[in-house]
Amino acid sequence: MSHSTNAFDQVVLDVRNLRKQFVLHTIDSRIVEALNGVSLKVSAGEHVALAGTSGAGKSSLLKSIYRTYKPTSGEVFLKLDDDSFVDLISLTDSELATLRGTQIGYVSQFLRAQPRRSTFEIVTKAGIQRGMNSDTAKQAAAYSLQRLNLDEALWDVSASMLSGGEKQRVNLAAGTISPPRLLLLDEPVSALDPVNRESALELIGTLTDQGVAVLAVFHDIDAMERLASRVIVLRNGVVDYEGSPKETLERLEGVAR
Amino acid sequence: MTSVVSPEWVLKVEQLGKIFGSLSENGLALTGPDIGSSKDPVTGAIVAAWDVSFEVAAGEALGVVGESGSGKSTVMRCIAGDQSSSAGSVQIRTSPNEQIDVLSLTPSERRQLRIDKIAVVYQDPAEGLDLNVTAGGNIASPLTAAGWRNFSSIRSRASELLLRTEVPLNRMDDVVKSFSGGMKQRVQLAKALANRPPIVLLDEPTTGLDASVAAGVLDLIRGLLEEFGLAAVVVSHDFSVIEMLTNRCIVMNHGRVVESALTDQLLEDPHHPYSQKLVSAARA
Repeated sequence: MSHSTNAFDQVVLDVRNLRKQFVLHTIDSRIVEALNGVSLKVSAGEHVALAGTSGAGKSSLLKSIYRTYKPTSGEVFLKLDDDSFVDLISLTDSELATLRGTQIGYVSQFLRAQPRRSTFEIVTKAGIQRGMNSDTAKQAAAYSLQRLNLDEALWDVSASMLSGGEKQRVNLAAGTISPPRLLLLDEPVSALDPVNRESALELIGTLTDQGVAVLAVFHDIDAMERLASRVIVLRNGVVDYEGSPKETLERLEGVAR
Repeated sequence: MTSVVSPEWVLKVEQLGKIFGSLSENGLALTGPDIGSSKDPVTGAIVAAWDVSFEVAAGEALGVVGESGSGKSTVMRCIAGDQSSSAGSVQIRTSPNEQIDVLSLTPSERRQLRIDKIAVVYQDPAEGLDLNVTAGGNIASPLTAAGWRNFSSIRSRASELLLRTEVPLNRMDDVVKSFSGGMKQRVQLAKALANRPPIVLLDEPTTGLDASVAAGVLDLIRGLLEEFGLAAVVVSHDFSVIEMLTNRCIVMNHGRVVESALTDQLLEDPHHPYSQKLVSAARA
């Protein structure tokens, strides 16, 4: 996928007044408000980090965009290859399933890959799903796994047998192979030791150079400082404030102290 | 690529219904999830399934979930023609210029459909196989029905299928009743795929198997769905099966569809009270 330089300031994701409430029928139909009207934009080649305390709505926002949560109201516009925008909320399930495979990536804290499938196969399949041919996908998978320092002895091992940190790297490799237009990252390095974390962050950093729009949640401020071009702070399910990593993170740390 | 393209359906079910007995005038309003029963209180008729609609494209698997008696299997049997339906339509489209209105076919045309268009894998191998016939003989039956006459090509196609479904070839000439449960399911799969049908219906394909055997059969099914780009309907009450094989589902309760969703969404954000109950029970 090639991008012209001026494509980098183009909006890829445009979220408008997104609300998500859960109605818990099993608990007296209690209503839990997760998002109370979030609006934000992410451009091609931009890395936007979401910050805020637990329960602020960071993961809910990522899941609502990916539609693992079905938003209650609002719009989520995604730019397609022909420069038109489509509202993900209004798509049918099968249309969305098609887009997920090719245009939107979601890397969570936990590997959600199919059990009993080898590490290498998981990553290769992700590439094929995004339109790579089998040989290219294999090469890209090998490159990506090497880059994340996943021991080659583990490549043909079923992913369910791996440690948490190893699974996370497989997940990241699958999510970033032939990078999609929009990548949603939810604590993708939380289980990694410092050395592996370093190479994972480096890999994530290269995505923006390739024009990917990244919307990410990291629990550590250092990762946000290094990778984010902008930080958006959520509070009680709405955007509290946003700005450069430096100013927002200072303000966040100030609150923490 | 231009705008979002909706995949073309191969199987389309519209407002399918099956009622056992004769319904009273308000029978439909007196049954269903809101009432908590599928039995007409006036006449005793059972609304086994009503107003069930969905589409499935090639390479896609749709899950049908719900507890026993929710109508899942009825829907599948109406599509397969094992049961007559009371309402609705079932269309299959295997090429741009071939569209078949399944429910308007004669019984013999429907049997024909089962030979090379719609394959069914049942929970009970006795329904899908003749247990007193050999594995090879079971697979030969859809092949001969499809016009295969040459003995050695039938043998070689049967071995090819058994190889693919991981049944040892030295068991090919053994009667199926001597096989283990998992192996019978593999033979059912081999038979189902004999004439490369575009559509496969799987009714609780791993229920009743030991966990390790079920896992192997599931892996096989997943591989076959991908390899042949089948349009599949997977009926199961087991969410791990649904999660592994499907990306979309419908949830049935008292004969009606109460929710349709992407599979991950159903598991993480079920909306209908019944779906919430079902998911929380499965995840507890």
